[in-house]
Amino acid sequence: MSASAGGLTWSDAWRLARRDLNARFKGLRLLLVCIFLGTAALAAIGTLTASIERELASSGQELLGGDIEVEVWQRDLSEEEQAALTQYGTVSGGTRLQAMAISDGETGADGEGNTAPIELKAVDALWPLYGGLTLTDGREVAAPTGDTAWLSQGALDRLDIETGEQFRIGTVTLTAGGVIDNEPDRLSEGFQLGPTIIVAEDVPARAGLLQPGALYQSKYRVAFEDEGQSPEAAEGALADTFPNAGFDFRTRDRASPGADRFVQQMSDFLTLVGLAALVIAGIGIAGGVSSYLDQRRASIATLKVLGASNRDIVRIYALQIAAAALIGSALGLATGVLVTPFLSTALQGLLPVESGFVIEPAPLILAAAYGLLVAFAFAAAPLLRARTFPAMALMRSGITPLSRDKRALGATALGLAAICALALLTTDRVVLSASFLIGAGAALLLLAALGFGIQAIARRMPRPSNPILRSALANIHRPGAPTGALVTALGFGLAAFVLLAAIQTAIDGNIQSRVPQEAPDYFVIDVPRDSEVEFKGLVRNTFPDAEIRTVPTLRGAVLAYGKKDAMQRVSQLEEIPEGAFFLRGERGLTYSDELPLGNSLVEGEWWDADHTGEMLVSINVDGARALGLEVGDYITLGVLGTEREVRIANLREIDWESLGFNFTLVFSPNTLDDVPHNLAASVELNEAGSAGEITEKRGTVLRAMVRAFPSSSVVDVSEVLVEARTLLEQVALATLAAAAVAVLAGLAVLMGAIAAARASRMYDTVMLRVLGASRRQVLMMQLAEYGLIAAALAFVALALGSGLGWVVITQMFDFEWLPDWGRVLGVLGLGLAMVIAFAIGGSLPLLRAKPAQALREL
Amino acid sequence: MAVLSGLERASGGDLTVAGQDFTTLDEDGLAQARRGRIGIVLQAFHLLPTMTAAENVATPMELAGSRDASPRAEAELTAVGLGHRIGHYPTQLSGGEQQRVAIARATAPRPDLIFADEPTGNLDVHTGEEIVELLFARRAETGATLLIITHDRALAEKCERVLTMADGVIVSDRAGADQSGVAQ
Repeated sequence: MSASAGGLTWSDAWRLARRDLNARFKGLRLLLVCIFLGTAALAAIGTLTASIERELASSGQELLGGDIEVEVWQRDLSEEEQAALTQYGTVSGGTRLQAMAISDGETGADGEGNTAPIELKAVDALWPLYGGLTLTDGREVAAPTGDTAWLSQGALDRLDIETGEQFRIGTVTLTAGGVIDNEPDRLSEGFQLGPTIIVAEDVPARAGLLQPGALYQSKYRVAFEDEGQSPEAAEGALADTFPNAGFDFRTRDRASPGADRFVQQMSDFLTLVGLAALVIAGIGIAGGVSSYLDQRRASIATLKVLGASNRDIVRIYALQIAAAALIGSALGLATGVLVTPFLSTALQGLLPVESGFVIEPAPLILAAAYGLLVAFAFAAAPLLRARTFPAMALMRSGITPLSRDKRALGATALGLAAICALALLTTDRVVLSASFLIGAGAALLLLAALGFGIQAIARRMPRPSNPILRSALANIHRPGAPTGALVTALGFGLAAFVLLAAIQTAIDGNIQSRVPQEAPDYFVIDVPRDSEVEFKGLVRNTFPDAEIRTVPTLRGAVLAYGKKDAMQRVSQLEEIPEGAFFLRGERGLTYSDELPLGNSLVEGEWWDADHTGEMLVSINVDGARALGLEVGDYITLGVLGTEREVRIANLREIDWESLGFNFTLVFSPNTLDDVPHNLAASVELNEAGSAGEITEKRGTVLRAMVRAFPSSSVVDVSEVLVEARTLLEQVALATLAAAAVAVLAGLAVLMGAIAAARASRMYDTVMLRVLGASRRQVLMMQLAEYGLIAAALAFVALALGSGLGWVVITQMFDFEWLPDWGRVLGVLGLGLAMVIAFAIGGSLPLLRAKPAQALREL
Repeated sequence: MAVLSGLERASGGDLTVAGQDFTTLDEDGLAQARRGRIGIVLQAFHLLPTMTAAENVATPMELAGSRDASPRAEAELTAVGLGHRIGHYPTQLSGGEQQRVAIARATAPRPDLIFADEPTGNLDVHTGEEIVELLFARRAETGATLLIITHDRALAEKCERVLTMADGVIVSDRAGADQSGVAQ
C-alpha cells in the first residue's frame, strides 16, 4: 500500500493514466505526429547514410579493385616502376580512354551502322583482383579475352546491337559477349563521359588508339601479399622512389574520395534538416502538451479532489505523454527504416551505392534518443506547471494563471543541454552543428521576444472604438492569451515554407546558370595534330556553318614552383595548399600563341606570336595566389619523363562558367611543341532545321569522323549536359524531400497551435454571438487577430527561412544564392493564407449555429 | 466547504477535521488527508469524462492504494441503483445518473465525512428528491457524517443540524427534522 505512504507507485499511476488516455490519443496527436516526423526523418537519414558509409568502408578493396592504385597519363609504367609495384603483391594493369564504337549492322541511315562515344576499359587477365564481374544473364566472368567485349547496356543501346553481334572500335572488330550487370570497381573509375565497354588489355593498341600524344590513362592496381601492409606506407615509399613519375595514387581506404565527400556532405545537410524538423517538432510538442493539459484541467482538479497529490498528477500525465512519445518514436523509427530503400531508389543516380532494406542500430538509437529527449525537454515545463493546478479550480470558473516553476525551467534546460551534447558528440562537423544549434536557439529567443513584444504593444495601443477590433486586440494581450505559443509556432511554420521555396528556387537558379544554355555540341579529343584541316573540312561538309576551335592537349605534372633559386618540390609538400588543385598528379596542358577566348590578363604580358627563347607559362590567377606565385617566378614541368623549367609570364582570369577549353596552365608554344600530342576540338554545329534532320546529319558526321579518325573520340555535350542537369535535379529533389519533412512538422505545429488557440476562443465566439454579434463581425474579429500576428511574423519568417536556406545552398552545397524572390514571397503568402483559412475554418460550425445551439455545444 | 474538505488551505485560525489539524498541512498533505476519509459530491458532478462509471468510482480508492477497488466500485454502483450502467461513460448517463455515480464515488471508500455542495442544484425537482433520498440512505448505511451545503431550505430541514451562514458568519445553529443519526 505504497499509495497511503505518500503517492502512487508507477504501476498504479499507469493504471489511472491508461484509463484516462483516449485510445486514439485525442489531444496528444500533435505530440505524436511531431515526434513521429522528427524521428522518422532522422531514422531514414541515419540509416541511409550509415549503410552507404558502411558499404563504402567495408568494400574499399572491391571498389578500388586493389589495395592501392597507381595511375599515369599518356604512358605505360616503366619496367622499373612495375617491378616496384610487384614487390607488394599481385599487380593488374590496364588502360582507360575515350573512344568511338561503331556497329557493324546496317541500321544507320547510310548503311554504316551506329556510332557511340564510349569509355574504353582495357584490363589484363588478372582483373578484377577483388570482387567479380556479373553479367545480366547471371554469369560471373573475368576479363574478356581475344575480341570479346563486355558492354554496358547503354553502349548496346547506343549501337543498337544485341549480345553476339559485332561492332568496331578503331581498327578492331569486337563481339558483344555479354551485358555488364555489376562492375566491381565502377565507383573508383569516376565520372564517365560515355557508357563503358570492357575489353582485353591489348585491344587499344591493336585498335590504333595509343598513338603518341593520345590521351589515355594507365591504371595499375596491387593486391597486397602481406595483409598487414599499410596502403599509405606503400604510397609513401613509391612516391619517394619515383618523385617525378607523376603518379596519382588511390588506396582502399579512400577508394572513392568523391563519393565519400558527397555522402558526408549529404549526411550533414540531412542531419541538419532532421534537427530542424525536431526543433520545430519540439515547439509542437510544447504546444501540444500545454493544450492537452489545459483540456485536462478539470480532470486534474477532480483527481486532486479525490486525493491525488502533485506527484501523482505528474506521474499520471508523464506516463501518458511518455506513452504517446514512445509510440510516436517507434512508428517514426519503423517508417524511417521502411522508406530508406525508396529514398535509395529515388536518389539512385546520386548515391554511390544502393542501400536496400537495412537496420542500422546506431542511427536508430540516435534518432529515438533525439525524439525522446526533445519530448522530455519541451513537455517538462507544461507538465510541471500543470501539477500545481489547484483542486479548487473546479469550483471557480475562469483561468487561474499558473506560476512559473523553477523546476520546470531546470528540466527544460537539462533536456536542451542533453540534445546539444548529443548533436555535438555525434557529428564530424562540430562547428556547423554548433552554429545550427546556436542559430536555432537564437531563433527561438527571437520569436519568444517577438511574442512578448506583440503582446506589450497590443496592451499599450489605444483601445479602438470598434468593438470587433477592440476584441481582436484584447485577444492578443489578455491574461492567458496563447499569443506567445502562436507566434513561435507560426514563425517556425512559416519559416519552413520560406526555406522550402528558397532552396527550391535557388537550386533551380543554379541549374539554369551552371548548365550553360549555349555550349558546343561536341568535344572531340585526340584529333591527330597534322589532320586539323582535314577534320574541319569533314565537319563542314555536313555543317557548313560549324564553328570549330582546336587546342593542343597533352598531360603533364607540376613538379616544383617558386623563386628560381628557392623552388619548392611538390613531392615534399605535406599537403597540397587549398585552391592549388593543379598540383595534384598530371593535369591537362596546352600551348597557345594568343590569350585564350573568354580569358583576361590580370598581370604581366602575353608573349609574342612567334616567341622563342625562355619557356613561358600563363597561370590562372587564383591558382597562382594560392601558392603565392608572382610573375617572374618559375615552375618545373614534368612531361613524358622530362623536366622543363618555365617562367611565369602572366596571370590570367578564367571564366569557368563558359563551357569551352579552360586550362589552368597555358604555355608558350616553344615550351611544348616538341612533345608528341594531339588536338582537342570543340564543335558548334550552328545548324537550323527540323530536329529529325539535324539528328540525321549528326549521325552522318559522327560516322564520317569515326571512319576518318578512328583513334579520336567524341563527347556529345548535349548528353553530358542532360546528365549534369539530371544530377542537379536529383540534388534538388533530395533537398526538397528532406526539407519537406521540416515543412510537414511546421504544418503540424502550425495547425496544432491554431487549434489550441481556437479552443480558447470558442467561449468568446459563442458569448459574442449570444450578445448579438453577427457572424460577419465574429469572422472579422478572427481575421483581424490572426492578420495582425501573421503580418508581424511574415518578415521574421522570411528572414529566418531564407537565412537557413542561404546556409544550406552556399555553405553546404557550395552553390550560388539565386532564389527567385517572387516565388518565395508567393509561397509565404500561401502559408499566411493557409494560417488564416485554418484559423477561421474550424469555427465555422459555431458561427453557423444559432446562439442557443452554440451555447449547448460549448 | 473548500476549507473544511481540505480543497483549500485556511488562511488563518485553527481547523481540525476528523481529528486531524488541517492548518499544518500543505497541498499534498491535504490530498493525503482526504484520501479514504473525506468524500465530496459536487453540484456539477465532475466525473472524469474519459472513464466509465465503475472506473470513476474506483479512482479515489485506487489513489488511496486499495487493491480491491474494482469490485467495491461495482458493488457501490449497484447499491446506488446503477448496476446496469457500470461500463457507461459520463456522457452516456443522465444528470441524475451522473450524480448517483458521484455519490457512489464519494461513499465507496467508506469515508468518515461526506461533503455535498448543492447536490441537487443541477437537477430537476423529481430527480433532486431521488438524489437526496439516496444521499441520506447511503449515509445511514455507511455511518458517515454528511455535510450538505445548500440554498434549498426544505433540503436543509431534512438534516439533524442546520447552520445558517450569512456574509461568512454563522447566524443560527439549530436542530433539523432528521434525528435518526443523533442517537448514534
